[in-house]
Amino acid sequence: MTRTFARAALVFLLGLSPFSSTAASAEEELHIYNWGDYINPAVLEKFTDETGIKVTLDTYGSNEEMLAKIQAGATGYDIVFPSVHMHDIMFKLGLLAKTDIGEHPDFKNIDPQFIRAKTDPDAAYCLPYAWGNVGIVYNKAEAGEIKGWKDFFALADKGKKVILLDDLRETIGIGHIMNGTSVNSTDEEEVAAAAQYVIDHADAVSAFSYDSIPLVTSGDVAAAHWYVGANIFVAKNPDILAYVIPEEGATMYQEDMCVLKSAPNYDNAVKFLEFYLKPEIAALNVEQQMNGTPNVPAQDLIPEEIADNETIYPDQETMDKLQIFEDLGRDLQLYNREWTRIKTAQ
Amino acid sequence: MKPMRRRTLSLLGLLGLPTAFLLFFFFCPLIIMAVYSFLTPGLYGGVEWTFFDLNYGRILGWADTKYERFDPVYLEIFLRSLRLAALTVLTSLIVSYPTAFWISRMTPARRTFAIFLVTLPFFVSLIVRLFAWVLILRPTGFLNQGLMGIGATSEPIEFLYTDFAVIVGMTYVFIPFMFLPLYASIEKLDVDQLEASSDLGATRFQTFRKVILPATLPGIVGGSVLTFIPALGNFIVPSVLGGAKVVMIGNLIEQQFLSARNWPFGSALAMMVMAAVLLLLLLQLRLVKGRGEAL
Repeated sequence: MTRTFARAALVFLLGLSPFSSTAASAEEELHIYNWGDYINPAVLEKFTDETGIKVTLDTYGSNEEMLAKIQAGATGYDIVFPSVHMHDIMFKLGLLAKTDIGEHPDFKNIDPQFIRAKTDPDAAYCLPYAWGNVGIVYNKAEAGEIKGWKDFFALADKGKKVILLDDLRETIGIGHIMNGTSVNSTDEEEVAAAAQYVIDHADAVSAFSYDSIPLVTSGDVAAAHWYVGANIFVAKNPDILAYVIPEEGATMYQEDMCVLKSAPNYDNAVKFLEFYLKPEIAALNVEQQMNGTPNVPAQDLIPEEIADNETIYPDQETMDKLQIFEDLGRDLQLYNREWTRIKTAQ
Repeated sequence: MKPMRRRTLSLLGLLGLPTAFLLFFFFCPLIIMAVYSFLTPGLYGGVEWTFFDLNYGRILGWADTKYERFDPVYLEIFLRSLRLAALTVLTSLIVSYPTAFWISRMTPARRTFAIFLVTLPFFVSLIVRLFAWVLILRPTGFLNQGLMGIGATSEPIEFLYTDFAVIVGMTYVFIPFMFLPLYASIEKLDVDQLEASSDLGATRFQTFRKVILPATLPGIVGGSVLTFIPALGNFIVPSVLGGAKVVMIGNLIEQQFLSARNWPFGSALAMMVMAAVLLLLLLQLRLVKGRGEAL
């Protein structure tokens, strides 16, 4: 998920609508709006091969960017991939179309613990797509072995630097985890204390950025707060990099595949959701994405080195230590305020 | 009557389109922002249509509720942005002024080529160019390797993710904005006047102060304003080269519209920038006009 590029693109392209409304052609189409680099192109090709439906893919860099565009009236998209809390928000805003995907016979493939959106308890709207955790990627030579957040911030004592994600919930979330409070806390004092934890360790933090992997690889910084997708880079440079789920706990994310109420190709969109229920398709996606799939039989089809990687498919005990973000409504402003405080603490 | 009407028509034809353009793409959005800044933030972005003065209260001092509370940090960020933008203007001026002189003394063919070179960076995406600066400034980057190579330092110096990196990046990005107006006024400089000045016994410094500086002042002021305004609102450079740690007002505004979902507060902050820019333009008007009369 290269968010900075997507964000930059937003800056330059804001206002350019994604599609000129094309005249109805004989050719069947499907327009997917997804995070950058968040689906294996081979999956889309296979769908086209099997159904003859032409797929186009546009990308975004954050839930908020996607929501802002859809709210601003961008039409032409059929499928979006909101995180669970954004799935709830979009449902409340009436942006999602009912698909009854939960009643499809192949839905038995989906592990029920991944039906997480509170507004969609029977998966009547969206299909759980993929999930992963947010942990630490580090340079083994620079950082030594890192087990958790304590080691991560202790790098400052050795004169080493780290990079945190430029994301207010994720970064204040570290403080919550270390203080033993919920990452979804809406208690003013708890939020302030969590932010204070990050501020107290500010001397270790050289930047807030999504583009930290190259700097970790080159040793410019010792470690960075990053997504499980870092395993793709670890696999390329196994002697240099390592990824770990912090022992104190971590956050996780999950995106769901949703059909928009404004979808011009509703039937094709539902077809795609059903197509993605097939274990071999979900497995094909994981092969390239190296993330978690909620599709149980798919887990037997994925390459062994991914299935056996405990940072991608952790044991249940670790799973239980992962917290997922919920929509906080108005209380997000508490985080917003503390975030400004963190950013200006030097 | 007839020629009058024709002139009115041609004026309308010439000015109509740009006026409509400004009205539609500048004035309308500005009004929307101004109105939004007095509305209640919507729960998931957008606004609720009820009057709300706490967006400004958060910045200027009278807000004290659970969600909207006064914090001097916003004014601090604003002042810091003013300072960084002013430093950017200063460094761009120091780089561009002698360069413009040098280029204006070249043969016409080389001059055209040199001006083309100044504008050349615009042909490459800004993001790509800024990431090139990351490679230059990082601890194992070219700059540190060079400094360590000549023995100027034994440990890498921290350039990346500092105020220094932000000023370097913004100077780099905005040099053409400073250079072009400067060049325009320096090129017009009358060589005979300079000769006359030295014939009359002025030292080189006196010539510079009394002849060159006043004659090029419009270029200096114009270039400074053109550099200062986009530098003040910039958020890409501080986010890529400042590591999002050197927060400028542009970053704060971006944050309100995206991750914080607080459009009215973002609008209020944007209006503050707008006010600062307006003040600056008024100042420019007075400065140039005042000088013009004194001459």
